[in-house]
Amino acid sequence: MNYRFDWTPIWEQRDLILSGLWMTIAVSLVSLAISIVIGFVVGTGGASGSRSARLGAALFVDTMRNIPLLIHMYIWYMALAFLKLPAFACAVLGLSLYSGAYVAEVVRSGIGAVRRGQMQAALATGLTRIQAFRFIIYPQALRIIAPSLASLFSQLIKDSSLASVIAVAELTYEAGAIEGQTFRTFEVYITISVLYLILVTVASQLVMLVPGARNDASSARFADA
Amino acid sequence: MLDVITRNLPFLLAGLWTTIHLSIWTIVGGTLLGAVLGILRYVRFPVLGTASMLFIEFIRGTPLLVVLLITYFALPALLGYKTTAYNAALLGFILFTGAYIAEDFRAGLRSVRPGLIQAGLATGLTRWQVLRFVIAPQATRIVIPSLFNQYVRLLKFTSVASIIGVTELTGAALLINARDFHPVTLLGAVAVTYLVVCYALSMVGRVLYARFAVRT
Repeated sequence: MNYRFDWTPIWEQRDLILSGLWMTIAVSLVSLAISIVIGFVVGTGGASGSRSARLGAALFVDTMRNIPLLIHMYIWYMALAFLKLPAFACAVLGLSLYSGAYVAEVVRSGIGAVRRGQMQAALATGLTRIQAFRFIIYPQALRIIAPSLASLFSQLIKDSSLASVIAVAELTYEAGAIEGQTFRTFEVYITISVLYLILVTVASQLVMLVPGARNDASSARFADA
Repeated sequence: MLDVITRNLPFLLAGLWTTIHLSIWTIVGGTLLGAVLGILRYVRFPVLGTASMLFIEFIRGTPLLVVLLITYFALPALLGYKTTAYNAALLGFILFTGAYIAEDFRAGLRSVRPGLIQAGLATGLTRWQVLRFVIAPQATRIVIPSLFNQYVRLLKFTSVASIIGVTELTGAALLINARDFHPVTLLGAVAVTYLVVCYALSMVGRVLYARFAVRT
């Protein structure tokens, strides 16, 4: 092994790395927000009593999940190029639809895990359906699915690296640029790996701050889903 | 409009075939690696158990694309060897999937009730025999659904190999698109193909699970 380590070019390019890191966080946060909305809408549909809602939700989930994320991004960026969406929007749309399907499955199983009597009791006390979901079902489901959500969100952050292929200047993209200029291949990629590791760890710890998520015994079942 | 598919069908099918054998080799290698790492962690093997934990945490915190860039560019530069895009992708996929599968195996192993292990030891089986004849058969059943989840995920992720220049299904479609420019048709066809193949693979998982399921 006669590779000579030289980390100084990485330090000199820290502005690029930081701006990439910031872009990764931005892409992830926006996609996260949209995929939560998609996930809750579709997941609630999938758990509902209506047959057509369940069918629609299953169709959405199966289609979105079984198409590779890379293809999602290329579809928005190349196939639907006439929409003239900026690369950032294409990355966010691709990521949100893809992850949204995963969130939907988790939400559906979470709602299913809340005992049926809870809904009946809520309706019996005079709450509307929306209020019942808002105040009774979602808080309990959220507690159960928090570990699964945490792993989905860390997945999402890592998946955002694919945005680099449609020229979104996030962490992986900047790493490629720095590598091209300095040829410090190993140092660059190890640096961004560590940065991703930190981001993912922080993000999953934040999700676990959901009240009661940590010490809810029933949540353990879903931890590896 | 569809003639871009029919004209390039042999090339696309060759790409699909690359996707398939890349996936099969990764499934074989990744499952083996995952089993070894998972067992090392489960039995808390000295040093190697900790090493596999560190490896698993590192891989699970790193995006697949970065893993492939490491196996294609960084590792050969560091260790001074030459590799092809296909072999680098295969190595990257095996390391990546192996780390996730290791965690699935560990979860499966841990789900075997301790009473059964104690009973096995009490009947005079060695620790290895208990692992082989008592724990492993039960863990395998439990692990099948999560294994197939990983396989389907991997099958989709092989598309990322196109970025480092492997001409699998996505790579082939992108090459044809660069020449003929029919992105809607080509990407649509590719998306549908992945949909069908992934769906078929998850069906295999469901059938296997039903066959191995413990009837109570």
